[in-house]
Amino acid sequence: MTTIAANLNEPAGPNAARFNRIMMLDRAGLIITVVTFLGAILWAFPIYWTLVTTFKPEQDIVRPGVDFFPDRFTLEAYTHVLFNTKIGLWYVNSLVTSAMVTVLVIMMSAAAGYAISQLEFPGRKFLWWMILASFMVPIPALIVNHFVLMSQFKLINTWTGVVLPQLIAPVTVMIYKQFFDSVPKDFREAAIIDGATEFQLLFRLYLPMNWGITTALAIITFISAWNNFLWPFLVTTSEEMMNITVGITQVTDAFGVKYARDLASAILAALPVAIVYLIFQRRVTQAIMLTAGIKG
Amino acid sequence: MASVELRNISKRYGAVEVIKNLDLTVDDGSFCALLGPSGCGKSTLLRMIAGLETITEGSAFIGGVDVTRLAPSQRRVAMVFQSYALYPHLTVRDNICFSLSLAGVSRDVQNAKAAEIAKMLQLEQLLDRRPAQLSGGQRQRVAIGRALVRAPEVFLFDEPLSNLDALLRVQMRLELAKLHQNLKTTMVYVTHDQVEAMTLADKIVVLDKGRISQAGAPLELYNSPANKFVASFIGSPAMNFIPGTVTSADGNSVTVEMQGGAQIPIRRRHPNSATPSSPLEVGIRPEHITILNTGDKAALTTGIVQIVEQLGNSTIAYVDTPIGQLVMEGDGGIAIAPNDTIGLSLDATRAHMFGTDGHVI
Repeated sequence: MTTIAANLNEPAGPNAARFNRIMMLDRAGLIITVVTFLGAILWAFPIYWTLVTTFKPEQDIVRPGVDFFPDRFTLEAYTHVLFNTKIGLWYVNSLVTSAMVTVLVIMMSAAAGYAISQLEFPGRKFLWWMILASFMVPIPALIVNHFVLMSQFKLINTWTGVVLPQLIAPVTVMIYKQFFDSVPKDFREAAIIDGATEFQLLFRLYLPMNWGITTALAIITFISAWNNFLWPFLVTTSEEMMNITVGITQVTDAFGVKYARDLASAILAALPVAIVYLIFQRRVTQAIMLTAGIKG
Repeated sequence: MASVELRNISKRYGAVEVIKNLDLTVDDGSFCALLGPSGCGKSTLLRMIAGLETITEGSAFIGGVDVTRLAPSQRRVAMVFQSYALYPHLTVRDNICFSLSLAGVSRDVQNAKAAEIAKMLQLEQLLDRRPAQLSGGQRQRVAIGRALVRAPEVFLFDEPLSNLDALLRVQMRLELAKLHQNLKTTMVYVTHDQVEAMTLADKIVVLDKGRISQAGAPLELYNSPANKFVASFIGSPAMNFIPGTVTSADGNSVTVEMQGGAQIPIRRRHPNSATPSSPLEVGIRPEHITILNTGDKAALTTGIVQIVEQLGNSTIAYVDTPIGQLVMEGDGGIAIAPNDTIGLSLDATRAHMFGTDGHVI
């Protein structure tokens, strides 16, 4: 009886090796799935905890014990942040400066990438090496110089002051150059015979042919500008000119440590980026992959 | 319409001279093919006419106007590329009208032009498609349409049929010939395919290492090649070359003893160009070799058939003979098989002689 039962479960002969291999693969797959699942929980739990906390009254948050769900559900933290702080202004500041950074970085990088990739002019290689070299310098290392410059230009507490130092984007130039290099030469030559100027070549040929990369770079530039904290924190001292990332630190300062309000303001600050990410998920992933090879 | 004239032009990339002191005239309304192997400079020459390559020395004239320093768009030429170079993000209509759009022509005029050209090239149903949705032949027609819309004085084609399969290539060849008949515009056509050049062109310019090896009408090049390079490049299967020595010369006729001892009288093209004992090569095209019975007195030599290619309309045989391996081409109905022993006669009136420098004698 035992022999018969064993034969039913495990095939004998040449199939046995294959069966064992599949079982091994299944086990490996199971382990990987479990580890991935645990990793996902580990990563997602703080977000969940933040979200749940914002719906709790402050007393419930500070009392001992762990509550995975709010005992008493309240929107007080959100109503407070929305109506008793300058979050509206901070949103506007973030939106305007991030949009300005995005538009300018994309336009300048595309133009610079095009010039380095397609035009012949004296000093082209030197310019390219300069851009590559600027990529080696970490931006925080320049932050004091930037501050002194902005201060001398009287641009502290202005949108321009927030935007200008964020326009240094060698990676975007490098990606554009790389993509423009890969456009077959025939397209350019056909358009030149058709009478296209360099501007027409860029705006009617090279950019539309690489529209996907422009969208991806624009999204990631916008997200980076929106999330940027250090520079906007240094360059704005007036509460009216702060970006959302800087503004939310004022919620803490004004009202002491109130976890629900702090976390609600953090949620509100991250919400637009999260929405942008959800809408353009594929493009963002593409951009991250593109920049990953260069940024390291 | 306009003629194209190149006067003593050269092109150098650093120390490398790609085009060497070349003179060429393409008559108004003619179809000129630039033919040659890879690297002979034919595409560079075309690009110099288009203005895509600068001319290192010499001058180029289109319609009598010196265009040497003019921008490509000012030369009144249109070019069709080997890759078609259709803009992938634009529809067929927008591809055709791209040059008009750059020039700021109104949308209505653009649409009317696109419709007119689409009708001429049978593209009406495809105007709203993108290049990726088209077959190779359709893409080629769009590329031609994009050239046509500019109403150029000279059309330049850079190996436009190379990317097509054999059947489509024949069809497109026919369409290009019709187009030239209808438009009567000057066309310069680069190809490495001698069949394209022979079937389409009024004039073929054979290029070798940046120089014109010979220029003339297709049959002139076929029947009277100026040198061994042209003789070997034009014609398929290629011409047979048999080493030999002049035994006697009498007026225009020269008797040549080929390797293996067979003798053949050949008419020389240039008087006093072959003297007794001078070594040379006899060139004979495969279709000018005839199969005979081995005992036939007219047979110049005998040989053993190695390989037979039956093409239906013709038969090509590779035959080992005492004068060397010969390729012969006969009717489709010839009954020969490998290892057959056959007699061969060479049509002496169609044979050529080439000196040791490669020039025809």
